[in-house]
Amino acid sequence: MKKGKQPSLNNLLEDTSFINWAKESNQNDVAFWNKWIEQNPDHVDIIYDAKAMVLGISFNNTSLDKSKVDNALASVLKKIDNKATTKQPKKLFNLNKTMLRYAAVMVLLITSAVMIYQLSDKATTVVHKTAYGEIMDLTLPDGTNVVLNGNSEIQYEKLNPRSVTLAGEAYFKVRKKLETNAKFWVHTEDLVVEVYGTEFNVNSREEKTDVLLDEGSVKLLLENGDRKQMVPGDFVSFSRNNKTLSQEKVTSELTYASWKNGTYIFNKVPLAEVLKYIGNTYGLETNYQNEELKDIIISGGIPNQNLNICLEAIQKSTGIKIKHIENELLIINNTINQN
Amino acid sequence: MLNFLTTFSRRSTKKMDCLADKSVWYSFIEGNVQAYSAIFRNFYPGLHNYGLKISGNETLTEDCLQDFFVYLYDNRENLGEIKSIKSYLFVSFRRALLKSLKKERAFTSEIPEQAQLENFEFSPEEIAIKQEFTAIKTATLTTILNTLSKKERESIYLKYYSDLKVSEIAIVMDITYQSVLNNIQRAFSKIRKELENKAVQEIFLSN
Repeated sequence: MKKGKQPSLNNLLEDTSFINWAKESNQNDVAFWNKWIEQNPDHVDIIYDAKAMVLGISFNNTSLDKSKVDNALASVLKKIDNKATTKQPKKLFNLNKTMLRYAAVMVLLITSAVMIYQLSDKATTVVHKTAYGEIMDLTLPDGTNVVLNGNSEIQYEKLNPRSVTLAGEAYFKVRKKLETNAKFWVHTEDLVVEVYGTEFNVNSREEKTDVLLDEGSVKLLLENGDRKQMVPGDFVSFSRNNKTLSQEKVTSELTYASWKNGTYIFNKVPLAEVLKYIGNTYGLETNYQNEELKDIIISGGIPNQNLNICLEAIQKSTGIKIKHIENELLIINNTINQN
Repeated sequence: MLNFLTTFSRRSTKKMDCLADKSVWYSFIEGNVQAYSAIFRNFYPGLHNYGLKISGNETLTEDCLQDFFVYLYDNRENLGEIKSIKSYLFVSFRRALLKSLKKERAFTSEIPEQAQLENFEFSPEEIAIKQEFTAIKTATLTTILNTLSKKERESIYLKYYSDLKVSEIAIVMDITYQSVLNNIQRAFSKIRKELENKAVQEIFLSN
């Protein structure tokens, strides 16, 4: 948000950082907007209108008695049923029509069979790909929800949507198939995640695959045939190249899967790792003026839907200067720069 | 921080509900009665309340709503591609209800069309009492809400009561996206000013 200009209502309402301020949910954003307001007293009205719109009014949902809904549904279903049965006797050429109907069904079946056969070779792979910094919400045909992080790609065969291939990072909420107990697989370069119904995060960047399990249970199938069972809170990292498997217990899933909620949350993470992560989702390379800068420790939430705000937040909390030139981030020590 | 997480997780589940709705909708179109019943259960209460707000007449609302659902089933194959199920149901039901209201009122008296939303009123019981809201403030807010224009009231209702998106409200009320935003902004602007006035009055009265 630039200084001096009257912000538009639309922009404010779609700005994650602004919403965070209105809800007082992210300290960086609160600080940013409080300062902004101080500097732009002329626009206070629209800011407070927009804040009121974000917070809204909470209504008690005087929800209808369930029995009332059931009764209404029963009477509607009866009306539908009655209509269907009263219509039937009116038909004159009953036999002919049923014959026709069968014929139509047969034709339909044959054509669809032919089409499925023709299609089965081509265009049966579904691919979803996100641009740098874009987050995409998907529902697979089986009801599984996938949140795809920036610069990531997921694909699956139309006929087998419960086996997907992932490059990049995604969060999965797998719908359990109670009737069939069907499994769900995520393939990465390094391993296969096998699940029944659960919530987990997979990140296959940096020539390794990280899997974080939020809920339920998953099994990892490694190339050498090894299997690894995970329980909620487990964070496992495996690299095909050096065949090392590391496992740790995550006390809070925030650090690893918070991206899907619009904020990165880092808990005592060195700057080099933070920027590597951000670089991956936005397609940026990072260069440091001196190596010591890499070790600056960062803790806290950083809004991730707008790169500029994201970088601004890092600059503020560390005191470093970040120059963003095309596809490169240049990290400069602020105090040296001023001299 | 916790607060932030709950609001976001709530938002994301809402989004997922919408996506799940779509597949239920398609099986309803194919004639699946279970899917139809699920849609009915999901939307009946919200539409019922919306209808009540518009008409102020329970029997009329219920009759019209049930007829509307029967119509929906009978014509399911001709409904075409639907972008948002919720806004589709709200706008179609609104149209049907206004039609039958017109019919009914033609018998009783001549009331101009605009007066049809006369009953769009809020009651203090409907406003959730947050911790910072005393009972007095809730009553005040209700009074202020009811002084807003009908369009502003309906916009507020659809946004925060029925949980529709701005783009969906635009479809339901048949106005532009920007007009919806303006309605809501104007409403809150008024509410803010009125609440400030009231607060000032209270200070003087208590002294």
